[in-house]
Amino acid sequence: MRVSPFSNKALASKLDFVSPRVHNDSKLNTLPPILVVDQDFSQEGPFLPEQEAQFAIDRSGPAPVLRVTGDWTIHTIGSIDAELRPVRDLDADRPTIVDVSGLIDLDTAGAYVIEKALRSSEAEPAQMIGKHAVAGRMLAEVRKFTAGCDALPEPIALWRQLLDRIGRGMVQVYDEMIDTVGFFGETVVACGKALSNPRRVRWLPTFAVAESAGLNAVPIVMTLSFFIGAVIAFLGKTILQDFGASVFTIELVGFAVLREFGVLITAIILAGRSDSSFTAQIGSMKMTQEIDAMRILGMSPMEMLVVPRVIALLVMFPILTFLAMIAGIAGGAIVTMLTLDISPTLFFNRLNDNVGVDQFWAGMGKAPVFAFIIAIIGCRQGLNVESDVISLGQRTTASVVQALFMVIVVEAIFALIYMELGI
Amino acid sequence: MNPADALTPILDIPDEEVAIRLRGIGNRFGDVVIHEHLDLDVLRGETIGIVGGSGTGKSVLMRAIIGLRPPSEGNVMVLGHNVWSNDPSERKALDARWGVMFQDGALFSNLTVRENVMVPLTEHTSLPPKLALEIADLKILMAGLPPSSADKLPSELSGGMRKRAALARAIALDPDILFLDEPTAGLDPITAGKFDALVNELKETLGLTVFLITHDLDTLRDACDRVAALAEGKVIAIGPLDHLREHATGWLSEYFGGPRGRAALG
Repeated sequence: MRVSPFSNKALASKLDFVSPRVHNDSKLNTLPPILVVDQDFSQEGPFLPEQEAQFAIDRSGPAPVLRVTGDWTIHTIGSIDAELRPVRDLDADRPTIVDVSGLIDLDTAGAYVIEKALRSSEAEPAQMIGKHAVAGRMLAEVRKFTAGCDALPEPIALWRQLLDRIGRGMVQVYDEMIDTVGFFGETVVACGKALSNPRRVRWLPTFAVAESAGLNAVPIVMTLSFFIGAVIAFLGKTILQDFGASVFTIELVGFAVLREFGVLITAIILAGRSDSSFTAQIGSMKMTQEIDAMRILGMSPMEMLVVPRVIALLVMFPILTFLAMIAGIAGGAIVTMLTLDISPTLFFNRLNDNVGVDQFWAGMGKAPVFAFIIAIIGCRQGLNVESDVISLGQRTTASVVQALFMVIVVEAIFALIYMELGI
Repeated sequence: MNPADALTPILDIPDEEVAIRLRGIGNRFGDVVIHEHLDLDVLRGETIGIVGGSGTGKSVLMRAIIGLRPPSEGNVMVLGHNVWSNDPSERKALDARWGVMFQDGALFSNLTVRENVMVPLTEHTSLPPKLALEIADLKILMAGLPPSSADKLPSELSGGMRKRAALARAIALDPDILFLDEPTAGLDPITAGKFDALVNELKETLGLTVFLITHDLDTLRDACDRVAALAEGKVIAIGPLDHLREHATGWLSEYFGGPRGRAALG
């Protein structure tokens, strides 16, 4: 019932003509003479090329007749659709008789377009003349559904889709905010409960997270901080040299790394690295109904999944920040020593005298806040994953984007507070 | 050949009457042997049900036939073409000639039902977009889905509707062979019965060959011309359901003779 392409090139070259395939013997007489090729085709099955679908409307008789010839399959009807559409639009003037005697191959898609061009319904089916192995059955089968295909909803206009999406987006932002605040409260309560009774804390997953999110992030955090420290030193040297104050590069490196960049670089890396993994881990557990299973077994997902991640990050984040600061200072120190010819003693003396431990604490004070933000956003987005793959992707993206956004916003708030406090 | 007379895995009939011809199939995962010297002929136009206990490699066999996982050894011929031939044109000749309904539907989750059905249409044909839309809708209706479901995402559908949507995608190109992997698993008996009727109806209309993996005895009774039982790595028995029940031994007699078998088959 289907046209198969040439599977035998040698055979194909022998055929310099196009021959229709035959479905029943009665049609043999009406077809043009067929050149017989001396070759056994039985092993190949039907293999002849497609014949173009063609039609004509014969209005000479009492009722118009639609004559269809050639192959009417899903592969051939594409080219005839444009010509056939005007026939469809005739409505009551559409032919009521179809002549299938010239029809070769037919499938449901072909039957559909033929049926559409006829004035035909289940109550008053079109008449069929000519013989065909499957046409009668196919047309009857498709007839049941052609009316339904018209009734299907039209696609919504683009501008309405746009408005629809904007509206949904606004509502979503609002819902997200309310949800995050709610989840924040829930987590604080859960952590409080867990810490008041340390036996309830799941230490094994806590340490596992501390390793994967904390310890494994040490190399990347330190490397990036080192380079940031070095870049600040280069920048400071280049600009301050013009004022003859290049020795202040040391102070610049100290302030920038201790107060801002040590903690910020750590936060940005963990927001990208750990948030995506938290969301993906918890999200796929949600998809496989593991979280439902936990609830049924009387284990709280907050206690099992969220609290360990929060505790692990609260512990590991300050450590990572500390290491980032060391690496940043080292980067700055090496650049200043090499380009400004400053001795290590002078560098650390100036750092100690003019920057001071206050700046270290100013930076370190932000660490637990960032840790909390990152852990909560990652876990919350993971728990909001639904049962489909798209939502997993959306939630992972949202998780990283929201975490980065919040880190920068909170960083700005801290800057304001510190300014007011005069630190 | 009439399916009722085809009582051996290997049939002595010409190639054009055979839809799927398996010879000497072997499959192993490491040391675990799943299939060994498995032979099977599926007639054109029949519905063959594949049964077997868990782990007898029904799905592995199907994956070997549809070209997803190469068998460790053996030859797979579908509609006269070698599926695992090194000649890409052999494989290409089969493109769009089979439709597969996977166990969980395997619908593309980011596309609506209509878009899912349109994927094979846009990939394999050059239909104008508007006509492709109409054909997709036709297939959705033929699969027994309500028109309103066309714009829904797979995640918004019930299990039974997802299966129908997967069926609509599988028949989008009017394939010659339809592969169904546990089509009624997880459906309630009424929906499962309707699904069997639907498969029968589509088979009649489209002249399909249906390769159906199932555990469901009702489906075997209502939808299958022949049943092939897999055990010990090969086809241990094949034939119409009644023939198999009369000559059941070993695993098969347990399968048919158990309380569920008796209840379903009476």
